[in-house]
Amino acid sequence: MSAAGEQAAALLRSLRGSTLDGVGDPVRIRAIEQLEGGWSRHSYVATVEDADGSTRRLIVRVRPEDTVLDSDLETEFRTYLALADEPLATPRVYSYEPARETPFGGPFFTMEFRSGAAANVWRAPDRAELEADWNGDRAIATDFVDQLASLHQVPTGPLDGVLETRDFAASVDRWQELYERVRVVRDPIVDEAYAWVRDRVPTPVAPALVHGDYRIGNCLVDRGRISAVIDWELAYVGDPRFDLGYLSQPYETGKFTRPGSALLGAVADREWLFARYEQRTGAAVDREVVRTYTALGALMLIAIMSVGVRVYADGGTDDIRMAWSRFVFPGLRQDLAGLMDW
Amino acid sequence: MFNALRTDELLLGIARILRRAAASEGPLDGFERSLALSATSVARLLASEQRALPGIETETRRRLDLALAADARPLAVASRAQIAQAPDAAALGEVLTALLADLPRPDPLRSAVQGALRWMADAEVAALAAGPEGVPA
Repeated sequence: MSAAGEQAAALLRSLRGSTLDGVGDPVRIRAIEQLEGGWSRHSYVATVEDADGSTRRLIVRVRPEDTVLDSDLETEFRTYLALADEPLATPRVYSYEPARETPFGGPFFTMEFRSGAAANVWRAPDRAELEADWNGDRAIATDFVDQLASLHQVPTGPLDGVLETRDFAASVDRWQELYERVRVVRDPIVDEAYAWVRDRVPTPVAPALVHGDYRIGNCLVDRGRISAVIDWELAYVGDPRFDLGYLSQPYETGKFTRPGSALLGAVADREWLFARYEQRTGAAVDREVVRTYTALGALMLIAIMSVGVRVYADGGTDDIRMAWSRFVFPGLRQDLAGLMDW
Repeated sequence: MFNALRTDELLLGIARILRRAAASEGPLDGFERSLALSATSVARLLASEQRALPGIETETRRRLDLALAADARPLAVASRAQIAQAPDAAALGEVLTALLADLPRPDPLRSAVQGALRWMADAEVAALAAGPEGVPA
């Protein structure tokens, strides 16, 4: 059997073995195509034929062996499952295959296909499209902040046993421990930034669902509206202001070696976004706390990308994108120096 | 400057992608194309870095030496000697991390070292932005 045939057979077995809502009655996989992108997960779009002859598309999300982040795929699957009935634009999941050896190169789960495309803020045309939204009816900008406000208000009870609860210190520990484990060289700016962040313990707030990687690139946009919030692999229960800090990074405006958009997250004016968030959640946004979490967000990115660099350096993968991420570090280092007022 | 993966390791990675693309039958799919584009990007960024890095390292060392020379404390004197002997940027990073960890907060020398590192961070990003042709952003 061809590789594609084996993938189709594995996918069909997974779907037919599931009893989750929406899984349907699949009889044949007509096509499977790997999607561009995907660092810690590989994604495929599959065309499925049901018993009644109708066809539909679904997404196969795979955790490859050489992933940049050792995050648990089952946790991500269960997060989607727990959020299915919340007022959030999250796709439904249909099945989960835990086996490490599959024709997709790792465990996978299947989920609903949502129309739309994720903006890549490092591409000028995508930034221009988002700026046009901001200068126009602001539908994407409004959806973007409203989805964030909604996810921060999801009751955390149903997430008990699904997601880890992490306070400020535990969040810093998580990324620093990972960084120390995988770093290839010693970077004095990164080390100083960890010390700076640890000196700025925010006043605690009630724990909430944190997406952990909330940015426009993890939202699908369809005809000028956000149709899905995806990539929940870094979600946890903790301080929701992490998401605000993370999306406040210059990197998330599309900055790489040159400045990106003037808009926060390439989506909206900073003060407008914070004001709307405050209005939707009733929680004041402390700009200094956001600054602390912006630095932690940059440190998180450095830690995660350092995993890819380490795996590449050790010969664990020949995926050149892992090596490429090493060129992201200078910009993040510059951002950290700026945040610390050096 | 404090960057992982040496030039030879990156060049070999680019070569692997080129070989794979050359051996591919038919057009590249989306995933293969993204790898090929990443390899192109790595090549350009590496060329930009190679063009600028010697100058950035020299100037960073000069600024650090100036800061340390103005401080007579034993820690500063020892660090100055260690920096002079550090054979490469990786070794320099080790010395600076140890120095900053031992300096009080706040401290004039700490601020001066941070200033030198800030200059280095800005210069490195500017060099990458200028591209292998060296055209300022």
